Amino acid sequence: MAEITLYHYLVISLLLFIIGLVGSIMCKNIIKVLICIEFILAGVNINFAAFANYCGGAEGDGFVMILFYTGIGAVELAVAIYIFYFMYSKKQTDNVYQYGDL
Amino acid sequence: MYKEIIFYSASFLILLFGILTIFFRNIFYSLISAICVFFLAGILFWLSGSEYNAVIQFAVYGFAVPVILGLGIMFTRKGKEEEEEKTASASNLKNILLFICGLFILAVVYLVLISLTIFPYGFNLEANLQNGINTYNNFRIFSKGLFIKYVFAFEIISIILTITAAGLTVLKKRRNV
Repeated sequence: MAEITLYHYLVISLLLFIIGLVGSIMCKNIIKVLICIEFILAGVNINFAAFANYCGGAEGDGFVMILFYTGIGAVELAVAIYIFYFMYSKKQTDNVYQYGDL
Repeated sequence: MYKEIIFYSASFLILLFGILTIFFRNIFYSLISAICVFFLAGILFWLSGSEYNAVIQFAVYGFAVPVILGLGIMFTRKGKEEEEEKTASASNLKNILLFICGLFILAVVYLVLISLTIFPYGFNLEANLQNGINTYNNFRIFSKGLFIKYVFAFEIISIILTITAAGLTVLKKRRNV
């Protein structure tokens, strides 16, 4: 079995990023869109970890960046869920295409 | 060898569950698949030498974020449950997903135990030592990064978190009035 290199992590993170991007464009359900946006963030975080491990030396700045991105991702999700709560109260639907007058 | 097996199986499953998240019609199944993806991303962090990020990933994305999303889903389920009960024919799929989730939890527990007993310095000790990183060094990296190198970004994110918490509370109160 081939040894794991930086490129393996890059391919996985790229594929996860693409899945998240495609899902956030394709899905109509707002919860699925939010989940797919978190997939995008997860792909970026895997990139950070891989670069920190293989190219960062002893500094490991990528690991610190993952912490920041995790915090920002959680905040973004909380705000998005709250906006969704308001919009659902108003529109009674979870279809993002009905949220044109946000 | 074990690292390659874990990496390839985790990579395959992360893509599989990512695709399933998009294509499941039932949003609960999508959420369960997404939880699996987040856990598997944590395993990839672990393999890449960042055990603390893996633990944070498990805690935040494995437990906290699904709770928030689950609350959001439950908020939208009024009236839909009766319709779906009539049309639901995927109970086997639900059982399979639950079984897979159970396997994941067991795998994570096994990884933690094996790392504590057989590999006390982390899975990729050799690679970490070559790169100058080891498990004990992670503390130094985080403390230096958070409180010295990126202290400004850290303070900004703390302020954003505080503003978000306060803002959501104020909005909720204003809406109730």
